[in-house]
Amino acid sequence: MNNRIKEFRARYNLTQEDLAKRVNVRRETIVFLEKNKYNPSLKLAYDIAKVFESKIEEIFFPDN
Amino acid sequence: MKKAIIVFIIAAMVLVTTGLWIYSTKESLKFFDLLSFGVIILVVGFALFVGYKRLTSAKRGEPSEDELSKKVLLRTAATSYYISLYLWVAMLFIKDRVNLDTDELLGAGILGMALSFAICWLIFHFKGIRNE
Repeated sequence: MNNRIKEFRARYNLTQEDLAKRVNVRRETIVFLEKNKYNPSLKLAYDIAKVFESKIEEIFFPDN
Repeated sequence: MKKAIIVFIIAAMVLVTTGLWIYSTKESLKFFDLLSFGVIILVVGFALFVGYKRLTSAKRGEPSEDELSKKVLLRTAATSYYISLYLWVAMLFIKDRVNLDTDELLGAGILGMALSFAICWLIFHFKGIRNE
């Protein structure tokens, strides 16, 4: 899976730490998500989408 | 935060105990003793690294564990379990060919298990887990 978390973070002016606190994970997890080194659980994906006021599929999408 | 402090205390105790053991031994140290000491230092270093990360997370107000850290731990445990199985099979194979006491073999096996866990954790921690 790929994602546009970095793009949305810039749009909402959030640091990785800010986003991590809002979705109750460590900053490392956000770093790994942005580098595509980790695929989030459905709950985490939903929480991130909620922070960015978007749908999950607008932020996360398959590799191809 | 408390867990991190406990990790530091235990690591310090292990280092002090090992240092005292080396200081008090009257015979010259064999290669295996030095190797054991080196592995203990590595494992303690790993514990200190984990404790330090927990401490910095706690200071930032982040949770000490989240879904990624739990998945890393699960994957590490599973992988190091398989490695440990093969390690013990190898130890059984070499025990008759190498001139080592039972205590030394057991100690080597335990250290090997700890080392395999630490190495696996570091690999998954830095490489990440793409659970597809």
